[in-house]
Amino acid sequence: MTETKTPMLSIRNLHATVDGKEVLRGIDLDVGRGEVHAIMGPNGSGKSTLSYVLAGREGYEVTAGEILFEGRNLLEMDPEERAAAGIFLGFQYPVELPGVNNMTFLREAINAVRRARGEAEMDAVTFMKKVKAAAKQVGLKDTLLKRNVNVGFSGGEKKRNEILQMAMLEPKLAILDETDSGLDIDALRVIAEGVNALRSPERSFILITHYQRLLEYIVPDRVHVLAQGRILRSGDKALALELEEKGYGWLLGEEAVA
Amino acid sequence: MTQAHQAQREWLQALLQGAPAAAGPEWLARMHAAARERLEQLPPIDRKQEAWRYTGIDTLLAERFVPPPHREADLAPEERAPLEGLETWRLVFVDGRFQPHLSALEGLPEGVIVGDLRSRETHRDNLLATSVAQASGHHAHLFTALNEALADEGAFIQVPAGTRLERPIEIVHRVTDASAPWLITPRNLVLLGERAEATLIERFSGRPGTRYFHDGLTDLVLGRAARLVHYRIQDESREAWHLSSLRLDQAAESRYEGCTFAFGARWSRTEQNTVFEARGAECHLAGVYLVGEGQLCDFHLDVRHEVPECRSSERYKGVLFGKGRAVFDGRILVAKDAQRTDAHLSNNNLMLVRDAEVDTKPQLEIYADDVQCSHGTSVGQLDPQQVFYLRSRGLPEVEARRLLCLGFASDLLEAVHDEALRHHVESRIRQTLVLEGG
Ligand SMILES: Nc1ncnc2c1ncn2[C@@H]1O[C@H](COP(=O)(O)OP(=O)(O)O)[C@@H](O)[C@H]1O
Ligand SMILES: [Mg+2]
Repeated sequence: MTETKTPMLSIRNLHATVDGKEVLRGIDLDVGRGEVHAIMGPNGSGKSTLSYVLAGREGYEVTAGEILFEGRNLLEMDPEERAAAGIFLGFQYPVELPGVNNMTFLREAINAVRRARGEAEMDAVTFMKKVKAAAKQVGLKDTLLKRNVNVGFSGGEKKRNEILQMAMLEPKLAILDETDSGLDIDALRVIAEGVNALRSPERSFILITHYQRLLEYIVPDRVHVLAQGRILRSGDKALALELEEKGYGWLLGEEAVA
Repeated sequence: MTQAHQAQREWLQALLQGAPAAAGPEWLARMHAAARERLEQLPPIDRKQEAWRYTGIDTLLAERFVPPPHREADLAPEERAPLEGLETWRLVFVDGRFQPHLSALEGLPEGVIVGDLRSRETHRDNLLATSVAQASGHHAHLFTALNEALADEGAFIQVPAGTRLERPIEIVHRVTDASAPWLITPRNLVLLGERAEATLIERFSGRPGTRYFHDGLTDLVLGRAARLVHYRIQDESREAWHLSSLRLDQAAESRYEGCTFAFGARWSRTEQNTVFEARGAECHLAGVYLVGEGQLCDFHLDVRHEVPECRSSERYKGVLFGKGRAVFDGRILVAKDAQRTDAHLSNNNLMLVRDAEVDTKPQLEIYADDVQCSHGTSVGQLDPQQVFYLRSRGLPEVEARRLLCLGFASDLLEAVHDEALRHHVESRIRQTLVLEGG
């Protein structure tokens, strides 16, 4: 295998438990550089669990398997090391931080990542310019930049704020966990534009979604169906349409038979 | 007499005998004599007393304190430097003694007096003598009486009616000499005339390794519609004991707004009392305290509404980041006649370690029926979800926890009007919070 063909992210036989319950039961997934992968699947199938395991959340215990990110063993890294390495998780339920100013938070995050990479901190002027531009792009009101992180934000504003953070942090791999849920079509379009603007041959995405809808705006390279802790099927964007039509039942049936 | 009481008496006698009679005005001698008499009559401090239930004084009694000599002292350049961006009129005390050459008092407006208790100017008109006499005696206990038995220095501030000070007045206490355990007893008096407005900043600190007992007593007298904003930064040496006893006397429509930031000292206690006896007055007390390994930090507050239409609040927040103890005893009493009172009382604590201790006792006693009152208290931990969210954005765990602690106290920090001071306090919080992972 040549260097260029090594996937950015490589998950092998991943098993993980939460509260003693096995939620991920043998996941295999390769995400190449510059690729967009969609993961779909019924509620409770383990999609968020997979995203948390990738981001390194405590309490999500990996019992078997491995994850390599750019050749590094991800499971040995702290969440902040993963962020510095270029992993970003857009939360399904963004967390409110009372008393923590959104702008301060962004600035601390950017500079923490830069410090970890041995880079100089971003100066105040550049930072302000970037924030304003990013906020405009994701359609987040300036006033929300001055508020506390996610406190009193509507569902849509929280999701926009996640995309804003992604735009500021410029990750190599962004995992967006149901960023499209609960959004109206306009918000969805804005978010999709935000993602598309960041698409590059160097940047990969994992989009976790319930709806085919998002994939009309962000065309994925691969689509995977995750159910009962396993990837039951992978395909191209046509699979998403098939799921939209037929639901997940037929796949679960196959699993039951198999 | 129990053994503990005997020990207290002996401790006191040793201190009083060791103290040379101060040369000074006659009123000062009278204050000393009256206080010595009071010391004879006051009951000893006892854990059985509600006010001392959680705050032991054994470490204090085990120390043989001595009053510091009157002498000119110097400060290192970095100790002498004012807070960045903060222009003030400044009174500087080193090792408990006033240092005119380090103070900055030029350009005070006409009629404003900022000086030391002993300086001739301050007891012109015998004003000081009568004020001290009036203020003495309430809420007395062993340590406040000890202050008055020995005090021969302190800050004296008087702002005449209608004068609004453009710059804050700052009282800086710095201890540099580690050669003996000093007993520092400043007796401060702040008088604001009708409609006078001022900001007062008190800063207390000591070099590492200095051991002393700062036993301060302050009277704040606000004339009709006067306004005082009062910040206090207790950043004492970690081997020091610090007591500040503050008494407010508020005329109608006066407004007092005070915030204490407590970082240092092995043992510290802040007492603050006010009684509303004239309508339309306001008293807002706030504080942020950080408690680490081996520290005890105590707040005792007492606000009494005796007349209608006054407003008060007590809002205190603490972060316990080491095996230490915080004590909060905050009372607001609304008497039967104090209708249309507005009173709010809260104490919130963030426990970052398991073996820290908080004794919180908010007391809102209401005997009137037409009032707006609320109270709340909490003892909680950092939310692991919030910590993870920050870490997933690249903040190291310690930074994440620090940011959340600052967030916890942010409402009180934002209430600091002066930006330079706010920055100073925030950076001291960052430095002080030594957070281990997990
Ligand atoms: N923190 C948790 N504690 C207990 N059970 C959990 C926790 N997180 C997830 N689970 C369980 O793991 C399974 C997968 O959940 P999740 O990953 O959130 O699914 P999805 O995102 O696909 O809807 C569910 O059965 C859920 O109940
Ligand atoms: Mg989910």
